[in-house]
Amino acid sequence: MMKILLIIPSYNEEENILKVYNQIKKSNHKIDYVFVNDGSTDNSLKIFKKNNLNYVNLIHNLGIGGAVQTGYKYAYENGYDIAVQFDGDGQHDINYLEKICDPVIQGQADMVIGTRYLKKEESKFQSTFMRRLGSDIISFFIRICCRKKITDPTSGFRAVNRKVIKEFAEDYPTEYPEPESAVSLLVNKYKIDEVPVSMNEREGGVSSIRLWKSVDYMIKVVLAIIIDSISLRRRK
Amino acid sequence: MIQTSLKIALIVVLLIYLLCILRAVKRKNMRINYLIFWSVMGIILIIALLAPNFIENASNFLGFGLPINMIFSIAIFIILYLIFDLTKLITKEQNKNVLLIQEISLLKKRVEELENKNTKKSED
Repeated sequence: MMKILLIIPSYNEEENILKVYNQIKKSNHKIDYVFVNDGSTDNSLKIFKKNNLNYVNLIHNLGIGGAVQTGYKYAYENGYDIAVQFDGDGQHDINYLEKICDPVIQGQADMVIGTRYLKKEESKFQSTFMRRLGSDIISFFIRICCRKKITDPTSGFRAVNRKVIKEFAEDYPTEYPEPESAVSLLVNKYKIDEVPVSMNEREGGVSSIRLWKSVDYMIKVVLAIIIDSISLRRRK
Repeated sequence: MIQTSLKIALIVVLLIYLLCILRAVKRKNMRINYLIFWSVMGIILIIALLAPNFIENASNFLGFGLPINMIFSIAIFIILYLIFDLTKLITKEQNKNVLLIQEISLLKKRVEELENKNTKKSED
């Protein structure tokens, strides 16, 4: 039996914490979870304490990358075989857990990314045209730099095996974590698979990528991908 | 040519500046590493003030139109270098900070868990 951990980064998500938690409990999956409270300024911490949830409380806000890495460190220290990144804002659907873990359990892939774009009818939330365009541009550059197509490089719904947990616990890109971590795995010859998942529209909270920031974001992500694909390659 | 009174004033300011550096080092507000950099800067400025001919000759030799242009150019390059160095330093410190925050937070969680276990045991 493989030990699976859900890593749920959470920043000012007081309305969503219990929703996500109940979703996990309802789904009857026998899995552990850990919330990473990324220095929330709302009542998140009280909610975690009151309901006796399993959480790590970061003593200062780190951003999504630093919070997720804390989750990977926790997974590594506690001997989990598989870690699944799961958003704390109710965007992801726990029912896809098996689908996303299966290729990792079978050993077909080191990381599986749940993508919104693989099958049209699968996802209710295909996201806006601009988001799609952004993903395509990032995807294009990853393909050039790593010769591998990742359709949804910014998806935060992903499962990884023990080897990658260790890798991420030691070193995780904190600036643009989703695309950069994919690149860092690809250049080191890890195998990444994608499975189609359905995502919900965000329920409250503020998306971490705002529209007016997106151009700036795109330029930096592309730059990061190019730099990572050169610098993260380890000499063997 | 700089007037003598201005010259004296500048030299006094520079000497105070050097004293400030020494005091900062003494109070452990500055690393020896930076001490060398800042005091060399001060000493160069004092030399420039005391021996203006040297500056003029050097600027003529390098082909600057005016000596002051050479001084400004050098100053700008030194400042650029310093800012670049500080940017690197900040990034390094940020990474260390992230690591510390993560490890402390994980440790706190473990301590709390152990404490809870102990209180339960003692209750039994």
